[in-house]
Amino acid sequence: MQKIEKYSVIVVGAGHAGCEAALASSRLGIDTLLLTMNLSTIALMPCNPSIGGPGKGHLVREIGALGGEMPACIDETCVQMKWLNTSKGPAVRSRRAQADKYLYRQRMTQTLFTAANLTLRQGHVTEIVVENGCVAGVALETGLRFSCDRLIVTSGTYLNSRIILGRASWPGGPHDQRAATGLSESLQSHGVALRRLQTATPPRILKSSVDFSKLSELPGDPESGGFLWENRLRHYDRQISCYLAFTDADSVAAVRRNLSESPLVLENITNDGPKHCPSIDRKIIRFPDMVKHQIFVEPEGWQSEELYLQGLTTAMPPTAQKDIVSSVKGLENAVILRYGYAIEYDALAPGLIRKTMENRAIKGLYSAGQLNGTSGYEEAAAQGLIAGINAALALKGRPSYWPSRTNSYIGVLVDDLSTWQKPEPYRITPGHAEFRLTLRDDSAERRLTEDGYRIGLVNEARYRVISSWKMRIENELERLAALSLFPSGETREKLVQLGTGDLKKRVSGCEILQRPGISYSDVKNLLGENAETWLSAADEIYSIETEVKYSGYFEREAENIVQTRFLESIRLPLQILDQRLKVLSPQTIELLTSDKYDDLNQLVRKNCLSRSELAILLIVLQKDLTAVGETEVLND
Amino acid sequence: MSKVRTDTIAAVATPPGRSAISLIRVSGPAAFEVLNRIFKTGGKKTFPLPHCAYYGSIIEPIAGLIADKVLVTTFVAPHSYTGENLVEVSTHGNIVVVSKVLQIILQNGARGAEPGEFTRRAFLNGKMDLLEVEAVSQLLSADSMSQARLALNQLDGLPSHFVGRIRAHLLDHLVQLEASLNFPEDAIEAIDEHILARELKKIRAELQIFADNARNGSMVAGGLKVALLGRPNSGKSSIMNYMLGRERAIVTDIAGTTRDTLEESLMIGNYAIKLIDTAGLREPGDRIEAIGIERTRRAVDDAFALIGVFDGSSQPDSDDRLVLAELDRAGKPCIILRNKTDLPQQLPDNFFGGRDQLQASALNGLGLEQLVASLSALISQSGLGGYEELVLLGAQQSAALERALASLDRACAGIGRMYQDMLAIDLEETVRELGRVNGETVDVNTLDLIFERFCIGK
Ligand SMILES: Cc1cc2nc3c(=O)[nH]c(=O)nc-3n(C[C@H](O)[C@H](O)[C@H](O)COP(=O)(O)OP(=O)(O)OC[C@H]3O[C@@H](n4cnc5c(N)ncnc54)[C@H](O)[C@@H]3O)c2cc1C
Ligand SMILES: Nc1nc2c(ncn2[C@@H]2O[C@H](COP(=O)(O)OP(=O)(O)OP(=O)(O)O)[C@@H](O)[C@H]2O)c(=O)[nH]1
Ligand SMILES: [Mg+2]
Repeated sequence: MQKIEKYSVIVVGAGHAGCEAALASSRLGIDTLLLTMNLSTIALMPCNPSIGGPGKGHLVREIGALGGEMPACIDETCVQMKWLNTSKGPAVRSRRAQADKYLYRQRMTQTLFTAANLTLRQGHVTEIVVENGCVAGVALETGLRFSCDRLIVTSGTYLNSRIILGRASWPGGPHDQRAATGLSESLQSHGVALRRLQTATPPRILKSSVDFSKLSELPGDPESGGFLWENRLRHYDRQISCYLAFTDADSVAAVRRNLSESPLVLENITNDGPKHCPSIDRKIIRFPDMVKHQIFVEPEGWQSEELYLQGLTTAMPPTAQKDIVSSVKGLENAVILRYGYAIEYDALAPGLIRKTMENRAIKGLYSAGQLNGTSGYEEAAAQGLIAGINAALALKGRPSYWPSRTNSYIGVLVDDLSTWQKPEPYRITPGHAEFRLTLRDDSAERRLTEDGYRIGLVNEARYRVISSWKMRIENELERLAALSLFPSGETREKLVQLGTGDLKKRVSGCEILQRPGISYSDVKNLLGENAETWLSAADEIYSIETEVKYSGYFEREAENIVQTRFLESIRLPLQILDQRLKVLSPQTIELLTSDKYDDLNQLVRKNCLSRSELAILLIVLQKDLTAVGETEVLND
Repeated sequence: MSKVRTDTIAAVATPPGRSAISLIRVSGPAAFEVLNRIFKTGGKKTFPLPHCAYYGSIIEPIAGLIADKVLVTTFVAPHSYTGENLVEVSTHGNIVVVSKVLQIILQNGARGAEPGEFTRRAFLNGKMDLLEVEAVSQLLSADSMSQARLALNQLDGLPSHFVGRIRAHLLDHLVQLEASLNFPEDAIEAIDEHILARELKKIRAELQIFADNARNGSMVAGGLKVALLGRPNSGKSSIMNYMLGRERAIVTDIAGTTRDTLEESLMIGNYAIKLIDTAGLREPGDRIEAIGIERTRRAVDDAFALIGVFDGSSQPDSDDRLVLAELDRAGKPCIILRNKTDLPQQLPDNFFGGRDQLQASALNGLGLEQLVASLSALISQSGLGGYEELVLLGAQQSAALERALASLDRACAGIGRMYQDMLAIDLEETVRELGRVNGETVDVNTLDLIFERFCIGK
């Protein structure tokens, strides 16, 4: 008989979710095995060569603050970095990087291979072994078996995946990989329900076949800094540009004349795809009057000869794709190197995952990434990190880490996911976050690094530097509030010069900074720079200016945050049902006592409780709340 | 998510002791079964057919005794007040009979409804929004025609229509704004802040009118407060008593008899009035009086209108001047009343500086009809006469409306000067709070709306 190798944690799949999960678990000292179908495609970006953007960029920053890997990796391997939304305000401002997708893979692969406590093996997992309702291990296609205490499945778009290209269709994964077979059926046999989702990718074209003179150039921003806190002020002097092209009436006509070959029309594919990445066919069908659609032409790496056509996603047959691409001004002679395609795959049915990424059906099973019904690299990585952290914490006998909606986009993501009921995949955007002023890009470490340190992913040295940076900002906010500016002749003259109103009585440093058009350095000027120590780092000043200038908004947000925290702190299912709660309807009692929701805030957000029911609950539960405390404190 | 309870409830729907007929409502899936057990129709029609009225008897099934002759009306879900199967049983108004019938119903498959449970079910079944719920509870306790008309007006859904329209309008702008914030790289047309500013100001003005109407509505619904104001011994309590037709307030010839404010309801035309007797205004003689006078001032502030009472039989003194000054300070509709016209007059006409005055005597009631007529005229002139415009809001809803106005104010003030993400926060809050005003789902999913409206995506 074969001797079964045993690991505490096994991670299936080395996509963006799997990489973070395996690193988190192993870095927390847990012996971890990462099994993936193909060791040469670790951290593959099968679709767009970019990371970040509003919401997504916030996730990447937070992953870094908690001690994850994605930001470190992209900061080193990007070909372009820029700020988005700078003119629209601090809450929605975020970075986006264009990746060298080859370098990204290489670097992530190297990081995994050099990580302590982490073993990598190539292997196609076809079965999960469950004993007494608990996960016990996995079996591979080859017949090999491994046993484990915790299993994290991050199979991405591979489960029973099918490629669709016009009328043609065959089993297969992204990037000409194989489809993962067997695992779906195994999961289902253990009571894990699945559903079918789809996504698609545009064609890649040969760089030398593009007439760039007809496109407009979109350069990067050398001053944007990187995602990782340590890289926040880094200069990126060498960058490659993206380019912008547009469809016109000819392109619309090209799509129309090929529409009969679109899988959308052929209906040989499930309709449940990401709303935010519609194919060009869908766009033309849904918005028939729109002629001008943007196409971002993006490089795939420093050395790559391929260009990605963001905006031209389609799974129409090759002849149609050629027709459409060449209708675009500047791409008339473009050579298609890889055709766009759609992929259909199995994902978990809604309602199966907790905020901790644990599965409700099988004990010891965690899942993350596209399998959970999300789309996007950043969403996958964030979930992988949480899954890895929680699998490891569980094995250490420590309480789970429940991110909160009130302190991170990660919290918003996992909370939304655990209650997501819509047919389409989930993608994060600032629109999902109700506290987005607090969850700003620049405040990630102030919100999360403490957590990362307590969990054990942020080491002492890093924690120290980040803490002292945080203290600098917070002390400066206090100092400004305490500083006084008096209406002396000189001051009033300066104020007039700055184009702001006169001064009649004493004001604080904060009050003067709140005036429109007054910057931190103006305040420093007014108050005399010698007397005190003033901050000079651009990022610190930015945070201070933002928080002072919009303090009214912060205060209002803070009130709601307290309320949400309170509701989040009431974990479901309720362990004991107070007698007095029997007055609630049976349906409500069922919601409170069965394992369907993670906390009371979810019920409130989903409108499951009437106002009077909530009032009754809060009155009854209030007593016990002192015992619950505000947020879970991780000990040890 | 619908949370309709599955049990059947019953309660007396008419307020106790007010009518010759009492109405008992039975609502829920088993409503017809319950009646089947206890109701024997007098006619040939089979019971129960949907939406029919039957005359017959309620019979206590075990003893077989007739409890009352009743009229039974059937309503089938969802076409009923609650949206469930519903039976209305009209019994004789006698409290003993009503209790007996209700008891029989409760013993045969229905349970007693909690206060407001019918209305709550109606709300949960989408039969009415929160504004309407509020209206129903007001209707049931309406004392006057004007209050009832106001409640009915609310039931027609006019105010909720209005709030819904404003909210939809704001949501439209919010979606546009959010689209550009969430998807900066999708070529979404930039917001023209000048146009938006103009739009928001317009909406702001409309909402302000609505809020004013709501304030007036709650005034009408609660009874219009009219305060009697005058120096001690001018005859305020005597006037109050006369108008109420009974000796409510203590009347003596000792100045400073009334030490606290007194409130009593009466009808003037179609309006419910709360007449308020106050402690006479003067430099206080002791602490109790001082407190009473303080209360008087508060009553003045709360009042819809004031009646200044002056003793015509004596020379004006500094207290009378104080009263005149107080009337001016309040700036509310007011009537100047010269009392004690049965006695020789000492108060010169020019004391009132040419203002209209009414002549009356509380002793024999002369001139007090004229006072009622003047009050009636005051109300119609105030614009409160147009019930169509008035709005009734509950406390929660008024608070939500105030918050909506405040955040809309911020949006109006900030636009053009503030980042758009702040503007979005303010607009989102306005939309959310307006949703609370008429109970539309609180969860505004702007993202879904963005995808419906804009071509987003790579
Ligand atoms: C065609 C296409 C188009 C896409 N378009 C977009 C888009 O427009 N926008 C967007 O945000 N995202 C898009 N994505 C999604 C994006 O690629 C994923 O969101 C992201 O890669 C998910 O990460 P993941 O870690 O969950 O899974 P993946 O990156 O898919 O990784 C899964 C890993 O699991 C391994 N694996 C799977 N099954 C097994 C098994 N049984 N045994 C062993 N190993 C296994 C695979 O080998 C792989 O390494 C697209 C993906 C594809 C394929
Ligand atoms: N002759 C005459 N006496 C009146 C009239 N109205 C009131 N009085 C008398 O005036 C005295 C004071 O009347 P009240 O009604 O108590 O006066 P008030 O304004 O309430 O006085 P305070 O409560 O002390 O502020 C009583 O003796 C009344 O009988 C009136 O019209 N004619
Ligand atoms: Mg009196």
